Amino acid sequence: MDPKLHQEMLKAISDKLTGVMQMYLDTCSRCGICASACHVYASVPEFENTPVYRAESIRKIYKKYFKLQGKLLPMIGEAVDIDDNTADMLKKTAYSCTGCRRCMVYCPFGIDTQQIMSIAKLLLIKAESEPEILSMLADVSISKGDSLDSVKENFLKGLKKIEADVVEKWKLEAGKVAIPTEVENADILYVALAGAHSIVPAAAIFNAAGENWTLSFFEAVNFGAFVGDPSKTKLILDRIINEAIRLKVKEVCICECGTAYRVMAQLSGDKPFKVSSITQVHARYIREGRIKLKPLPADVSVTYHDPCQIARNGGVIDEPRYIIGQIAKDYREMSPDPKTNWCCGGGGGLVALGDETIDFRMKSSKVKADQVKKSRAKILITACENCHTQLDNLNEHYKLGVEVKFLSSMVADALIK
Amino acid sequence: MDSVYYFILVPMVYVAFFIFIAGNILQIVKVIQRKRFAPPLKIYPEQKPSFLWAIYDAFLFPMVRRSNPILWFFLIGFHVCVFLLFLGHLELIGDFSVLQIIGHEIFIGRGFVGLGILIALLFFLFRRFASPVRQFSVPEDYLILMLLLLTAIFGSQMDWARTWYGYGELTVYEYRPYILSLISLSPDIGPVMDVGHSFMLVLHVFFANLLLMFFPFSKLVHSIFAVPLNMIRRGK
Repeated sequence: MDPKLHQEMLKAISDKLTGVMQMYLDTCSRCGICASACHVYASVPEFENTPVYRAESIRKIYKKYFKLQGKLLPMIGEAVDIDDNTADMLKKTAYSCTGCRRCMVYCPFGIDTQQIMSIAKLLLIKAESEPEILSMLADVSISKGDSLDSVKENFLKGLKKIEADVVEKWKLEAGKVAIPTEVENADILYVALAGAHSIVPAAAIFNAAGENWTLSFFEAVNFGAFVGDPSKTKLILDRIINEAIRLKVKEVCICECGTAYRVMAQLSGDKPFKVSSITQVHARYIREGRIKLKPLPADVSVTYHDPCQIARNGGVIDEPRYIIGQIAKDYREMSPDPKTNWCCGGGGGLVALGDETIDFRMKSSKVKADQVKKSRAKILITACENCHTQLDNLNEHYKLGVEVKFLSSMVADALIK
Repeated sequence: MDSVYYFILVPMVYVAFFIFIAGNILQIVKVIQRKRFAPPLKIYPEQKPSFLWAIYDAFLFPMVRRSNPILWFFLIGFHVCVFLLFLGHLELIGDFSVLQIIGHEIFIGRGFVGLGILIALLFFLFRRFASPVRQFSVPEDYLILMLLLLTAIFGSQMDWARTWYGYGELTVYEYRPYILSLISLSPDIGPVMDVGHSFMLVLHVFFANLLLMFFPFSKLVHSIFAVPLNMIRRGK
């Protein structure tokens, strides 16, 4: 192996080796409780699909270079060298984990496999073996931040085309802009995803609530986080933070994207604005009486899929249930509790990888499909783009016979004067 | 043979305790000295007070009970037995009235604690032979189980001999002066030598020494890190 690359990979591990990470790596007793907690193993019970096996792929390297046991008695912990096979081995482990952290709930020590897999993803980047498409998408996002003026015109033209759709959902007073941009001192900067489906319902709801809002020029999704590149994650995040600071907004509202919400809420450090998910904002509007919703017919049963990054890892659990309580009379909780809800199987960049991962995604999410089926609901609601795509795919693959809908669309469709 | 016995019962004990204490302190210092991870790592929903919930998680493993009640039963049994054995060994040093609130004969448990721990250890060992645990187990897992088993077997045998079949030559009144002589740094193995079960004690101490020396460099540090890690999960 190229000695320079070897050194770079070791430095990457060292950079990630925080006090908490050392405890995660030293503490595991390989009890295997995490195995049945993982949707991949629960769906395809092969040992390679257990969180502990994934974590061991990094732990064995860590032992070799950072632990006395691995240096003196490598065979005791099966410590391994970094060599030309490392990248191939890590590819299998890093991208079979969606980072849902359900295993962390069950682990008696609370070991965070997603954190350990962040080392694996970083090593893959160093070895230039990461999924190329994710890195490319991250680079496109970063370049958009560098040359905003060149994309602004096209973006505004695109918005013009969908303004009528917004007005169709909520009529505005004459002279009001349906999708405002560049509004200084706005109360809310809304960060959407690329695509009308993420902008139209949200805009209608903001307008219905009489919100002083403005739309971000940047898309919320953070491909840097998916690919596991901390520097790219920060560059993508900083575009939005800088925009929010420039416009002096009070609150940044992240659209229905789990990773985007968690990255903005938990990785952006101290900031002069509040961070909310769009679900939290909608629940607030209802509580404050700023929007009113028309309930669905009583015979329409609904269930809700908690996106892992928003619920278990982000704390937005009660708000979607409160909103659904306003819309649906027949709500069916899908799992014993949201903390242990099964991951849809689309996170960690797997959905973004598209058809390349579809076979794995379908096989590894059978438990989720079973859970949806068991609810016998007609509508399956979620509040995350990746989850929505994955659930749609599952619906088709397992013939679940549900209608998969975004929570924000449900709210927008139920708006009444 | 006497010099081998002396080596195991005196210098090796000192070395083992030194490595155990210094090694664990070193592990803790390393964790503290490493850079901090600033973003929250907690799991929702939050439950307050998070400190108490973290203690609950660390000592009663409620999610293990929910996921695998049989493993939970043996885990709880094993850890309770370890705690009772710790108390039992304390009483070999001296009389602690606080430990005699519920009056009992020294050594606590009349041999059943050792039996309990052996059953739990055998369960843990056989569990490792089944898939998928077999595939992700490493030699360290078996080594620790074997060291624990051997330590427990020879330790228990001393107690069983005394309490179950009246082999009363080696009792707490022999162990106590030996242990006190080690603590006072004037080692004397005389009281525990030249009796029928001396070799049991020597083997028990030998394997316990190995276990103590391996402890800080193995997964056994979970006994130190379980509480802080659970506090991180609870967002404390």
